[in-house]
Amino acid sequence: MLEIRELTRRFGDNVAVDHVSFDVPAGLMTGFVGGNGAGKTTTMRMMMGVLGIDEGEVLWQGRAITRHDRRRIGYMPEERGLYPKQPILDQLVYIAQLKGMERVAARTQVTELLERFGLGERTKDHLEKLSLGNQQRVQIIASVLPRPAALVLDEPFSGLDPKAVDSMVDLLREYTRDGVPVLFSSHQLDLVERLCDRLVVLAQGRRVAAGTVAELRDAGVPRFRLVLGGDAGWVRDLRGLEVLDLDGATALVEVRQDGAEQHLVAQATSRGDVHEFVRVRPALSEIYREATA
Amino acid sequence: MSTDQPTNQPTNQPGNEARGSEPAWLLVTRREVVSRITDKSFLFGTAFMVVLIAGFIGFNAWQEERTDQVTLAATPDSVAMATAVADGAPEVDEDVEVTVVEVDDREAAEAALLDDEADAWLHPGDDGWQLTSESSEQGSLTGVVEAVVSQQVLADNAADVGTTVEALQAGSTVSTDFLRGDAEKAGVAHAVGFVFVFLFYFAALVFGMQLASSVIEEKQSRIVEIIAAAIPLRHLLAGKVLGNTALAMIQLLVYLAVGLVGLSFTSYSSYVPALSGPTAWFIAFFFAGFVALACLWAVAGSLASRTEDLQATSTPLTMLMLVMFFGGLSLDGRGQVIASFVPPVSAVVMPKRILAGGVEWWEPLLALGLLAAFAAVTVWVGERLYRRALLQTGGRVSLRQAWSAAE
Repeated sequence: MLEIRELTRRFGDNVAVDHVSFDVPAGLMTGFVGGNGAGKTTTMRMMMGVLGIDEGEVLWQGRAITRHDRRRIGYMPEERGLYPKQPILDQLVYIAQLKGMERVAARTQVTELLERFGLGERTKDHLEKLSLGNQQRVQIIASVLPRPAALVLDEPFSGLDPKAVDSMVDLLREYTRDGVPVLFSSHQLDLVERLCDRLVVLAQGRRVAAGTVAELRDAGVPRFRLVLGGDAGWVRDLRGLEVLDLDGATALVEVRQDGAEQHLVAQATSRGDVHEFVRVRPALSEIYREATA
Repeated sequence: MSTDQPTNQPTNQPGNEARGSEPAWLLVTRREVVSRITDKSFLFGTAFMVVLIAGFIGFNAWQEERTDQVTLAATPDSVAMATAVADGAPEVDEDVEVTVVEVDDREAAEAALLDDEADAWLHPGDDGWQLTSESSEQGSLTGVVEAVVSQQVLADNAADVGTTVEALQAGSTVSTDFLRGDAEKAGVAHAVGFVFVFLFYFAALVFGMQLASSVIEEKQSRIVEIIAAAIPLRHLLAGKVLGNTALAMIQLLVYLAVGLVGLSFTSYSSYVPALSGPTAWFIAFFFAGFVALACLWAVAGSLASRTEDLQATSTPLTMLMLVMFFGGLSLDGRGQVIASFVPPVSAVVMPKRILAGGVEWWEPLLALGLLAAFAAVTVWVGERLYRRALLQTGGRVSLRQAWSAAE
């Protein structure tokens, strides 16, 4: 497990990351969302030791992370980082060697991974000759070499078509199944909602929400939708509730006082038919919008 | 979606954990060298330079060996003099061989010239002798003819007044003597000195630019972040500097070898043994000077964010290179002596002084020591600047920013 504790980074007077804490638990995919300039990339760079840390710390398996630990963490920088004019096999072997793999073993593993991604025929091609999707595949191979203890991926899905996203997701799932913690950042909320077990939301350098998707959706003030047989105007007069929307027989309310919803149901049944009474959980995008507003 | 925590721990394949036997800087060095020597433009460039050096030496040697074959037309009134010229030519200029063609008269001589059957026509003129040719002067022939004719006429005139040429010329010769070697030796030293300065300038500029742009390539593509997460940046810098230094040294040795071997086939071959000492010194100075500058080039690269910025961030260095180039070529006297101890200019000036001779044994050692100390400083400063500027993105980084930036 990776633990981020009160991580802070300033650039001059600007606090890019402000006492941010969260966990990346083993075997789970943690999504890292936030607008441009929210501090996601800065946080990830600090986690990887690429950028100095002003305050706070990064823990790996419960103790302060070392360079040796970091070498085993697969990292994909925001802008794609590989040599454009070098054959893909050669540069992947080079990166694997920098990460401490032995040359022959590196070659074997790189060849295996390239074949798996359908690039077995193109090992001698220069990176720049590949399509964008294939370049991204090479990039992900670079980050999972050697078999990573954790993965930190900055916008790994940007620029990928749906099929490439799926094959990337399959690979990531393989690692989480083995207990590898995975942290990835993304702008695409639908993707994050579909893939992530957990979510960390950043806004202006601060962590504004964190938890599983279900937790986040349950976390806010509970909302209920009530559909009656007749006009629902009387709902306005009840205490402990705030009516967010009222349209004839349908009312959307937010519970301001514990138990107020029970009173509402009792009132409704005593007044006539109740067609629907349901808890409304906000979509992730709504939570995100509210959290980052 | 589940919040269950799996119990299985990350697995690692055996053998992946231990770093291979090679240190990181060596891996980087090897990549620099391999990716460069498999690069076609580098190979072509080196091969072209070798051909150029070999061709230049070969051309000069050929030019020297070549004898000018000239045909001299002579009318009956000038046959005797023309024959004297043909016989006397080897003594005046060993590279000129004169053949005499006899023609009947003026018209025949002019026709022979126009038909290219003869290169010139020697005949008595109004006052002395005249050498007529088609349209351009026959340089080497003119010299020979002038010398032989004047000798011949002088001898005739001397005989007319009852004396000899030797008697007339007695005591008139001026002979030269040099306290510091002879002119030819000085010429060779000067030429080789130029070659040294040029080779250093050329290598430092080409490899320096290459080093800087490879630093930008890594910075721009962000592969540097992957590398920085894996190895200390110090190793990356060391590997790049060593790799490029190795390449520059290999190229330099090839050029010097081709040059010296080529020289041994020319009439200057006797100078080759005397040049090997200064050449060895030059290699040592080249090495120290190159390392000193390589770190600065790496800094120039790390300060830029895009290839387009390199022009600006490397300007101080290109200026320094020009100062070294022109300083190396033009300095002499006291200025040269002082410059030969001032790094990094000493890298080119001291080898030149060694070539010219008259250098005390301790002088090159002191200069080399100072240059090595300077290199140590630039490595130290360069490493700090490089490490801090490399991971800063978004526009050019100023030296001040890089120096004081937090890591």
